[in-house]
Amino acid sequence: MTAGGAMKPILLRARGEDKSRSISTYLRMGGYGALKKALIMDPAGVRKEVKDSGLRGRGGAGFPTGVKWGFVPQDLPKPKYLICNADESEPGTFKDRAIIHTDPHMLIEGIIISSYAIDAHVAYIYIRGEFWEEARILEKAIAEARRKGYLGTNILRTGFDLEIHVHRGAGAYICGEETALIESIEGKRGQPRLKPPFPAVVGVFGCPTVVNNVETLACVPHIIEHGAAWFAAIGRNERNSGPKLYGISGHVRRPGVYELPMGVTFRELIYEHAGGIREGHELKAFIPGGSSCPVLPADFVDIPADFDSVAEAGSMFGSGGLIVMDDSVDMVWALENLMTFYSHESCGQCTPCREGSDWALDILRRIRRGYGRPEDLETLERISRYASQGMTICPLGDAFCGPISSFLKHFRNEFEDYIAKAKPLPPRTTPVLPVRSGRGRFGI
Amino acid sequence: MVTVTIDGHEVQVAEGVNLVEAARAAGVEIPTYCYHPGLRVVGQCRVCFVEVEGMPRLVTACSTPVKDGMVVNTASDRVREARQAVLEFLLANHPLDCPVCDQAGECYLQDYSVEFGTDSTHMVDDRRRFPGRERNELGPHVIQNQNRCIHCTRCIRFTQEISETWDLTMKSRGNHAYIGTFDGEPLDNPWSACVADVCPVGALTVKEFRFRARVWHLDETPSVCPGCSVGCTIDIGHLEGIVHRFTPRENPEINGWWMCDFGRFLAEDLNGRDFEVPRLRGERGLQDTGWQEAMAALTELAEVGSPLRVVASANATNEALYLAKRLFLDRPGAEVVVPVHRGEEHRVKNAQRQWVAGADEHPNSTGARLMGFTTVDTEGLEAFLRGGRGPILILDGGAHPWLLSQEAARAVTGQKVAVAARKASPLTGAAYLVLPLASWIETEGTLTSSTGRVQLARRGLFPRGQAKPAWEILALAGRQLGVEVPTPLTPRTFFEAMAAEVPPFAAMTWRRLATEPGIPVLEEVAHVG
Repeated sequence: MTAGGAMKPILLRARGEDKSRSISTYLRMGGYGALKKALIMDPAGVRKEVKDSGLRGRGGAGFPTGVKWGFVPQDLPKPKYLICNADESEPGTFKDRAIIHTDPHMLIEGIIISSYAIDAHVAYIYIRGEFWEEARILEKAIAEARRKGYLGTNILRTGFDLEIHVHRGAGAYICGEETALIESIEGKRGQPRLKPPFPAVVGVFGCPTVVNNVETLACVPHIIEHGAAWFAAIGRNERNSGPKLYGISGHVRRPGVYELPMGVTFRELIYEHAGGIREGHELKAFIPGGSSCPVLPADFVDIPADFDSVAEAGSMFGSGGLIVMDDSVDMVWALENLMTFYSHESCGQCTPCREGSDWALDILRRIRRGYGRPEDLETLERISRYASQGMTICPLGDAFCGPISSFLKHFRNEFEDYIAKAKPLPPRTTPVLPVRSGRGRFGI
Repeated sequence: MVTVTIDGHEVQVAEGVNLVEAARAAGVEIPTYCYHPGLRVVGQCRVCFVEVEGMPRLVTACSTPVKDGMVVNTASDRVREARQAVLEFLLANHPLDCPVCDQAGECYLQDYSVEFGTDSTHMVDDRRRFPGRERNELGPHVIQNQNRCIHCTRCIRFTQEISETWDLTMKSRGNHAYIGTFDGEPLDNPWSACVADVCPVGALTVKEFRFRARVWHLDETPSVCPGCSVGCTIDIGHLEGIVHRFTPRENPEINGWWMCDFGRFLAEDLNGRDFEVPRLRGERGLQDTGWQEAMAALTELAEVGSPLRVVASANATNEALYLAKRLFLDRPGAEVVVPVHRGEEHRVKNAQRQWVAGADEHPNSTGARLMGFTTVDTEGLEAFLRGGRGPILILDGGAHPWLLSQEAARAVTGQKVAVAARKASPLTGAAYLVLPLASWIETEGTLTSSTGRVQLARRGLFPRGQAKPAWEILALAGRQLGVEVPTPLTPRTFFEAMAAEVPPFAAMTWRRLATEPGIPVLEEVAHVG
């Protein structure tokens, strides 16, 4: 199969089926066959198959899944855990939701096989608080799978035990970061942990833990069923292989989730599958994989949508949530909109992100209000330089700095236009020193 | 031990220590806010970035343990710029109200901004404020100004890991996050003021000390807390003869970096004095007199009556107790007791996070026991005072809370009492002779803690008026009574005589005491506690 060509859906094969979520539909389509096959393999064999398939994490970082599983120490006398990250909170990303809505059993089968591969007997699905409906779908599917003997003790009489718990978050973006997610499961404030140690060694409850994205885990049954070579053959090359769900939103005619082989070009995604830009407008820019990825101008539309090609272009492939912007978009407004989100979602733990995200937002708001100063762009660049690249505990710093630096790089003229028309800065409203309040005492 | 090179200085440090401590050993200062040697490492403030050869990114020194052969650069341009950026972030929303901030002078945000920061900011927007949390009483001793907070969470970790009371938490999120207590519960634990000590900025300040003095004016005298037998190592902050505060000084073996509120707020008790000159009872009651007359009267008292009853003090220094031992315990014709008030139990955590508890509310009860004195409780003390008709010498009118009561005055009715005291009490009213006693900070000497460590408390102030410390009163009395007293009359002389004579103190030297945070006595003291 070649990149770009239409393909028979794999992850969304049940889309359009009647009662697609029910276990009977799933079984009719050959579901849980991979589980039977996996449970007679040994766990190392399952790990090898996934590693050979070249499956890379679909949550955004693109880390090879088989390698990640290999980091779990095998000789530690501690329980191991698998966590399915269903916190999908990145603006522009809605692919995991599509899997849960269409085929929850595919995810559950993936979780069971993956737990078997890393010798975990408890798995969590950490799902964002707003996904209450999806949480209910999963609960129902788990109950069905348990009734059929695919979950619980002695699964399929192989002696393998597994429980899956659905853990609902409270709606914090940061809880999609794996260590903050782990803290949240432990009942603590969702704040990323200092690394190392990494979760594969010290994860939830101090035990080795693997955190995988929904789409990643949903790929696992197919790899086991059809083999690593089959999976690696889908897509552009073996480093960017497999089927991929592209969530396309913004100024296209047919926004939605499209399943295509990894490596189709953005042009195909936007113009063939999503129906092109709306009437009378042209593509201006696109954010390739969820709002934290640096923006790319329309010139980059012919690059393949996969991890390595987008990285070469100076952005990130991320989760595959493509945000399309046409020529009606004010890029200063767009960046302000993004910063509103990131400054609201910063956990406040470490200095550059806590202070920088809000500071950048203040500057952008001021520029849009017509009080920008030429120095502001340098300050924004300075913020984006010193709140990213390892200056912060977790990647949220990079998540808001990528947009700032890329918007300034590609659309600096729009910022300068605002500043050229700006009025002088109004005086501060907060005095530097405390002022005498009504009762005659200083507020100190 | 591993060898690391920091800014060109090669240094040997223990395995497992972090780069901040390794740099300190090499004489290089790395700025830190969230890192505190007594608390968990969280790596949140991001100011301690350093460059390690072979690592592509800057690393936080607090969370990076040393490895053999590591080459660390804390002064490269990259490190300097990163620090400047972090300091600019920290100052972006800081109110910069140093002129009216009580932390000024001991504020790490000031110090590091001067040392490592820049003199300007790119911040022109409105700074963040927390209305209603700008002068917020977190508890009985601590006042919060959230505007100044840099979110280092040291205070939160203190209440989690040291006091284990879990009073504080971070509330809200992101740029609006602030420190608060749980649902209106006050920050009220026995060590609550320590959160203001660990606060590197002016966000948390101690209510009792705020606005009493600018810290750069304060004189700091190394001392020992007089509150209980734990003997926390402290600094006494005083200015122009007035004691303003106690602050804990690092001592890994006893109090770590902490002290309890009970001890801390005894500072105010050191101020005030009712007796500046000796007072002798004459025809018209107690009248001011001179030391010569007073000592003559004391000698007369000691020689006339037999036996002389002496109430020594567990608040006195080892040197004073040693003289009391030579004068009264080792010679016939006197009975001596040391009153000990158990009081509440006070405890503190040492640097190993073990609890160190005090046996009683006296800083030197252990020393008194090691010297061979008999200790008595309240009943024993009353029986001792009532049990005879001879004269009584009370070495410290404040040595036991009961001595301050009316009953104490009644118990000595009709007996000739000489009492050394700083403050007036019913007992001094009934006394025949009152000697003005120097206060804690007006005395120099050593004390033995409940864990058997001998520490030196320095004198910070000269005694007001003609007051004298107990060791001096005893030395003068000894001369009058014909007891051989080593010369010159200094605490050091008596300490060295004691070290030569009293076995548990053998092999100690004054010089070592002046530099070490407490020398253990040569005796297992657990059984005497």
